[in-house]
Amino acid sequence: MASSDPIIRLKELTKIYQQGEIRVTALDGIDLDIAAGEFVALMGPSGSGKSTLLHIVAGIDRPTRGECWVGDIEVSRLNESQLAEWRNHTIGFIFQTFNLIPVLTAFENVELPLLLTGLAPRRRRELVQTALDIVGLSDRSRHLPRQMSGGQEQRVAIARAIVTDPPILVADEPTGNLDAHSAATVMETLQTLNGSAGKTIVMVTHDPRAASFGSRIIHLEKGELIRESATPPGGGTPA
Amino acid sequence: MTLPFSYNARNVVVRWRSSAATVLIIALVVAVCLILQAMAQGIVSSTSATGDPANVIIVRKGSTAESSSIVTRTQARRIQFLPQVQRDERGDPISSAEVVVLANLRRRGGAGEANVSLRGISPAGRALRPQVRLAEGRWFVPGKREVVVSRRLAPRFEGLGLNERFKSGAHSLAVVGIFDAVGTAFESEIWLDANEARSLFDREQFSSVIVRVPSPADQQAMKKSLESDKQLRLLALPEPEYYAKLTKSAGPIRFLGYFLAATLSVGAVFAAMNAMYAIVGRRTREVGTLRILGYPRRIIMLGFLMEGGLLALAGGALGCALAAPFNWVTTSTISFDSFSEIVFKFHITPWLIIQALAFSFAIGVAGSFLPALRVSRLPVIAAVKAV
Amino acid sequence: MNLGAFILKNALRNTRRALLCVLSVAACLFLFVSLLVCLRELTVPPEDIGASLRIAVRNKVSLTVQLPARQGPIIARVPGVAAVTPFSWFGGQFGTEEGTPFAQFAVDPAKFAAMFPDMRLPADQLANWIATRTGCIVGRDLAEKKNFKIGSRITLRGSVWPCDLELIVSGIYDYEIDSTSLFFDHKYLDEATGNTGTVGAWWVLAENAEAVPGIIDRINAAFANTSAEVRAETENAFRMSFVSMLGDIATLIGAICTVVVFTLGIVTASTMSMAVRERFPELAILKAMGFRTRELWAFILAESFLLAALGAVLGIGFAIAFYRSPPVVSAMSIYFPVFEISPRIMARAAIVAAGLGIVASLAPAIQVARLTVVDGLRTLD
Repeated sequence: MASSDPIIRLKELTKIYQQGEIRVTALDGIDLDIAAGEFVALMGPSGSGKSTLLHIVAGIDRPTRGECWVGDIEVSRLNESQLAEWRNHTIGFIFQTFNLIPVLTAFENVELPLLLTGLAPRRRRELVQTALDIVGLSDRSRHLPRQMSGGQEQRVAIARAIVTDPPILVADEPTGNLDAHSAATVMETLQTLNGSAGKTIVMVTHDPRAASFGSRIIHLEKGELIRESATPPGGGTPA
Repeated sequence: MTLPFSYNARNVVVRWRSSAATVLIIALVVAVCLILQAMAQGIVSSTSATGDPANVIIVRKGSTAESSSIVTRTQARRIQFLPQVQRDERGDPISSAEVVVLANLRRRGGAGEANVSLRGISPAGRALRPQVRLAEGRWFVPGKREVVVSRRLAPRFEGLGLNERFKSGAHSLAVVGIFDAVGTAFESEIWLDANEARSLFDREQFSSVIVRVPSPADQQAMKKSLESDKQLRLLALPEPEYYAKLTKSAGPIRFLGYFLAATLSVGAVFAAMNAMYAIVGRRTREVGTLRILGYPRRIIMLGFLMEGGLLALAGGALGCALAAPFNWVTTSTISFDSFSEIVFKFHITPWLIIQALAFSFAIGVAGSFLPALRVSRLPVIAAVKAV
Repeated sequence: MNLGAFILKNALRNTRRALLCVLSVAACLFLFVSLLVCLRELTVPPEDIGASLRIAVRNKVSLTVQLPARQGPIIARVPGVAAVTPFSWFGGQFGTEEGTPFAQFAVDPAKFAAMFPDMRLPADQLANWIATRTGCIVGRDLAEKKNFKIGSRITLRGSVWPCDLELIVSGIYDYEIDSTSLFFDHKYLDEATGNTGTVGAWWVLAENAEAVPGIIDRINAAFANTSAEVRAETENAFRMSFVSMLGDIATLIGAICTVVVFTLGIVTASTMSMAVRERFPELAILKAMGFRTRELWAFILAESFLLAALGAVLGIGFAIAFYRSPPVVSAMSIYFPVFEISPRIMARAAIVAAGLGIVASLAPAIQVARLTVVDGLRTLD
């Protein structure tokens, strides 16, 4: 765990939603450093602000106040177009509902982010193949999403997230729609990516078992950090 | 995290929008078709109200218009003194031997030229057409190169206004009066003295003869005596019957209207189908619930058909509203019967409106048939589980 | 996979909707093409080489008023005039049909061929026509429709003229501009009517194009202040005067064209809006992955373009096939002897379709630009 060099640094991060008369403070002055190579699980009840935090870190939402540094870039200062490009090579997304494009095969879904890069088709094919190998689904590359199980779909989504080789993965309830067995496989995949590939992972979850795979668990409530607990190394692999 | 209320609200707006597009499409289709039918109807109405059933018009057999008909002076005299013709208090037959000449005149505003009917009438010609009333100025005096012009025609051609002059061939004619002939074919005419017209336009013969024969039995007898003489080659018709046939120009316009209705309705049905598929798709679960409650398929199907029909009917009503202002518009075109300009008003009849609404309703029902069939055929369990 | 494949897959994912949209675009474009052809037929006189050398002379009062036959030799003597022929409308009835089923003109056969160089008539048939007093020539289309052959007898019952004509077909001509008329010898008409000493109009051929304005002026001047003043004008100007007679019809058809295009716009735009709204979550994900608004707009644009293009191919293709099919050709020939979809009209329809593709993508593009990733993801559940 490289505690020396934080890859994500949040300073006084505040997010307020204004809905008509009602002001909702989703995040209330969060200070948080996440080091490169960490696997952080964000936990908390509904409305605690954990998803908002994840969205800001991923560059799809903007804070009302405060700063969000990723590497040496202040994410909230980028304009939409710069953000889009930044996300393409910095962030890999994993969603609760997988969100694969139904008309595309597993291979094509994984290839999608690469269409933006201008790489040669051969190089793209290699990268997609590698990503599918990592998640253990090379044999499913010609299948459409509806021909796969939920766990497989989520692993395709993970392959899609890592195909551009981003340093950071953000996962929003990655096991929320999965049965226990598939959930375990998905979490193991993520853990491997964290361990051997050195990806920094930020994950929102309700599920304590999923959280236990993380190296650090952060609890939020009403937009504030309330508690932080480290899991023992190798934790989350309950036999 | 739950969805904000705005999501639901937005869904409603989405539904409203896709329906609105369909309503608008149907409205435009209906408006276009209605306007064309109103135009055809206008042409029909412009001549069909012409003529008095007590008048008989005699033209040459086979001629398609008065302007191309020839009735010789001898024939005209013979017709006037037929026993069936009514006489006035002085004992003279009430008849008018007339000449119709087409004059090429310039439209106002530099919009080209067109043929206008000039009708030369005998002194009894006015009495035979009580529908035609002097509105401004005075009647022409024979021999002074004077004419009276229909109120509708006057603003459309150069020199046809009251106290203006226009040239036809080498002659200059003065407009001394404006007449009203509401809803008759005379609205597209210029009137002058028959003998003067014959000399001005170098016409030896007349074009037609109009006589007053009030009794239908006399009309039949007269028709028989004239038409049995093959040498004469004349045709005698009650005036209204003659004018009712002069609607050839309405044909192509009506044809164009039907053609447009046919092709555009195909497009409109497809568009309506798209919207109904979207509406039906969003309500699949609702349908499942209704099925569980015991509603049979045909009721559900009927419900969607009615919904599609009503949606389209709204479009049809909007289309009628869009077309309505045309009902007061006066326009003109060439008559394919007489080869001359006819001025007429778009005429939207209640019957046309009923047709338009039925047409739009049919588009809606046709467009919702397949979507309704699909949703009503779904197994209950699939419908309930649908998102 | 490349972007093109992605766009194609997306466009066709809701096959039914794509098909319905394509079909409604096709229906509207079919109509658009039909109206354009209509409008061209009504407003643009057909061009041919000889037209620039031909002058029409009619009575100044109107075409329906006759001219004295004695004007012929006077016109022939005008410097620069190569040939003169009378041109009289007969307007007879044929068979049991009411009205005039086809155009019939009395002309001077000896001058006629020189006057219409684009008209193709075999030399022996022309010679035969000139030699036969009651001979006539008919257009190829008319001959086919009425089953006229060389040697056929045609009886025309006069409606304008108080006489009947017994004609024999001497020849069948081919002429792009008008292949549905009948021409016969004016001398036969004079004979049948008892020589009225009048003609309907004169057709004049100039020696060269430069001479035309001078000839027009001289002919107009020659009969000024006579009982039959004339109006001489080029054949094209003469044809255009019929357009003016149609009055507001041409404007009306033009207006309908606009409404049709507008309707088309709504059809495609609403389809694209539906397609895009349905795909909001997906677009949000693409945005999250790093696709920018302009790239997403390119997707949408390409998709709507594709739908419009398919509609155009189908609509224009159908129009071409439709208006060439024999039953339609014979049904249309009442109003339009020629109903050809020219390359120019096809191009106009294609441009409209392309414009449509662009316009239809605008509203969805704005929706997508406004869509934030977070909102898009929220609509997932």
